[in-house]
Amino acid sequence: MAGSEIKISFISKQKRGADLKGKVIVITSGKGGVGKTTTTASLGAAIASLGKTVAVVDMDIGLRNLDVVMGLENRIVYNVVDLAHGRCQVKQAAIRDRRIEGLFLIPASQSDNKNALNTDDMARLTKKLRDEFDYILIDCPAGIEQGFENSVTGADEAIVVCTPEVSAVRDADRIIGLLYARSITPKLIVNRIVPYMVVNGDMLSHKDVEDVLSVELIGLVEMDERVIAATNTGSYIIDDKTSKAGQAYTRIARRILGDPSVPIKEPVYDQKGIWGKITSKFGIRK
Amino acid sequence: MKNGFFGKIFGTGKESTRDIAKKRLQFALIYDKLEVSDEILESLQKDIVDVISKYFEIDKSSLKLDIERQDDLSALVLNTPILSAKRKFG
Ligand SMILES: Nc1ncnc2c1ncn2[C@@H]1O[C@H](COP(=O)(O)OP(=O)(O)O)[C@@H](O)[C@H]1O
Ligand SMILES: [Mg+2]
Repeated sequence: MAGSEIKISFISKQKRGADLKGKVIVITSGKGGVGKTTTTASLGAAIASLGKTVAVVDMDIGLRNLDVVMGLENRIVYNVVDLAHGRCQVKQAAIRDRRIEGLFLIPASQSDNKNALNTDDMARLTKKLRDEFDYILIDCPAGIEQGFENSVTGADEAIVVCTPEVSAVRDADRIIGLLYARSITPKLIVNRIVPYMVVNGDMLSHKDVEDVLSVELIGLVEMDERVIAATNTGSYIIDDKTSKAGQAYTRIARRILGDPSVPIKEPVYDQKGIWGKITSKFGIRK
Repeated sequence: MKNGFFGKIFGTGKESTRDIAKKRLQFALIYDKLEVSDEILESLQKDIVDVISKYFEIDKSSLKLDIERQDDLSALVLNTPILSAKRKFG
């Protein structure tokens, strides 16, 4: 075979070029219980439903939740700590959602604590994930300690979730400051808005929150009982097509994908809504 | 809360809890950043009023403290109607 050569070419499965790597978005808030996990699951499902590949990553190490919210809790073998420490491949740690094509969950570890990972681990992990998925959504734990540091490492963008309450807004402000310090300009979701309370002057409006925080809004989500029902069964609120929260998350997903024709819909006081019904029953409707 | 600095900002208690929440937040964020307290702001306000009073007649009852926010900057703004300039200082 002198004079000839054998040429081996590796053809990548990946359609995407080096310049078209995945985008990492961290979902954070400071305060717990404001809807980070709900938002991560819903946006993950919505973005995947729009045809992208998505990995949602539970960074609440020691207190995992995203798996039950997504109804994938009985399929966990490896977790994010295993993956970050090289004990498994992305393919092994990423649980494929059988209901929505292109959606994957990388669960948190339940037995470690937040110091099981450091920012170097996270830089490596996000780099790896960018090669495999179009979008990587990081579900950040509450607080501003190691778990937060880890979650924002490697993030290109951030979504801050906030409820219209004094404590949540104050914590959001703190988080926004920390994100700016890392050169990330966050966008804001105001979650759990109760329109009749806003109308009655008993709840901060999204405008108030936006005013105080002065950051760009990416979506508004109403308080919606069906979110809780969806969580009960481990299904996605975006698949409940008539639910307001589901519709809101789908709109946010489209905006994340860069569709400028999707306006932010302001929640309106709906007399037929559950919260309206409750108030009229108690006779406090104005 | 009613006696302190806030009492003066909030006036007669006609505000909705929503308005109160917003004002509290705006001030809480200022306090957090400057690491100042109610008391310090109150005595600052008093000093400012004293200085202005040296030169102008002002309506002390309609002093208004507000927060203006632009981009990532918060400004504490004291508004006071000036009734007239004083001819002589002191
Ligand atoms: N828009 C909403 N309407 C009703 N309940 C909600 C909404 N968003 C979140 N929740 C509920 O609030 C609780 C806290 O949400 P979660 O996503 O776990 O918050 P976090 O991850 O920030 O701690 C959950 O019980 C969730 O079902
Ligand atoms: Mg959570």
